[in-house]
Amino acid sequence: GALLGCHRSYRSRPTHGIGRFKYLLPKEVPKKRKEKVQMKEISAGTEYQYGDLNIQMTSYDLCLVEHFAQYVHRLCNRLSIRVNDSYAMPTKTNEVLFLEERGSKMQLDAVLTTHQRVIQIRGLSSTFAPILLEIIQSNQPEGVHLLMKQHTEADFKSRLKARPELEELLAEMS
Amino acid sequence: SAAARRPWRLFGAMCLMRLPRITQPLEKEEEEVAALMEQIELEKSLYSDHEMRKLEEEEQLKRKMESLYDEDEARGKTVIMAQDLEEKWEQKFLRFKAAPRITDADKSNDRTSLNRKLDSNLMLLVKQKIGNQELWLLPQVEWQPGETLRSTAERAMAIFLGDHIQAKVLGNAPYGIYKYKFPRAIRTENNVGAKVFFFKAFLQSSDLSQADLKADYLWVTKKELGDYLKSEYLKKVNRFLLD
Repeated sequence: GALLGCHRSYRSRPTHGIGRFKYLLPKEVPKKRKEKVQMKEISAGTEYQYGDLNIQMTSYDLCLVEHFAQYVHRLCNRLSIRVNDSYAMPTKTNEVLFLEERGSKMQLDAVLTTHQRVIQIRGLSSTFAPILLEIIQSNQPEGVHLLMKQHTEADFKSRLKARPELEELLAEMS
Repeated sequence: SAAARRPWRLFGAMCLMRLPRITQPLEKEEEEVAALMEQIELEKSLYSDHEMRKLEEEEQLKRKMESLYDEDEARGKTVIMAQDLEEKWEQKFLRFKAAPRITDADKSNDRTSLNRKLDSNLMLLVKQKIGNQELWLLPQVEWQPGETLRSTAERAMAIFLGDHIQAKVLGNAPYGIYKYKFPRAIRTENNVGAKVFFFKAFLQSSDLSQADLKADYLWVTKKELGDYLKSEYLKKVNRFLLD
């Protein structure tokens, strides 16, 4: 059959490289895979301001905890308190076994899941802190435990998973 | 020369609060919305493991009634049926009795007990002698030079309730201030009036058996404060009370 029109530009022709455009775009830094999660600096806080504070809410009921965490987050936004992070800790599952000993031993199982949400706050002034605490406490729903503490390295490390193979290799090397 | 003595006398007062134990009852609209949301969730939800098991067993029973298919299902025969489990749980639930929301103290309106009004904040009021009048006030004590105002307030609490109270004072800054001038008869050059600084504390434990209360005391909610406090004092106190 007849040859179809071929639009190849040869290197000798003046139209060589006519469709190039990638050289005009800004340079992309190649994305690193799996960056090592660095711990951000934990501010210690001056005399009149608290540093990083963690508000931890735990409960058996997921919806309550989630909604309460949302409420606290929005409250801090409205009161213009800087919220660093708001994350969830992994849920813990507890199996409750009843051992009834009346003739036939029966085991009734119940599975309880404990959920925890954490909101990290920075720059809470010491005059305002008790008011915030009172507001949160008076709006606490039933069944939710509230804990406010300062952020430490141990808290940060508890979110990361331990890697036994890496530790073994490091131990072998040293 | 010595520092000029200010003509005001300073007092530190402590507002001791017992936090609510139970949540307040829902309003009518809140109840309606809650019921509606529950219904929507129920209609949107899928069957759980337990309900699936129950449905399968019901079908098995039906098939057994109609025709004998015992050999096939005898292998996977369950000892305990899901229906039995449900009945057991129902019985257990019926045996459980929740504590009453309205306690005896509520019914008798005994204002000295901590057990009434479990869903609101209760504050401590003490009868104190100021000048020559006996007034109902938040416990207050005069400030002595050399101590912080917060320790004055804690001392006030300790004087009226004894040393062994577990109360958590919130912060070092006062919550409110009330100042008044003495009546002309007592007023002197150095003693124009008094300023009362209020601090807040939360009562941690509800066990007051160890406390030896020396004066008349009352535990009242915010609405009932008006029955006991004077209007000016009440205005200033209401400014820092939530709820």
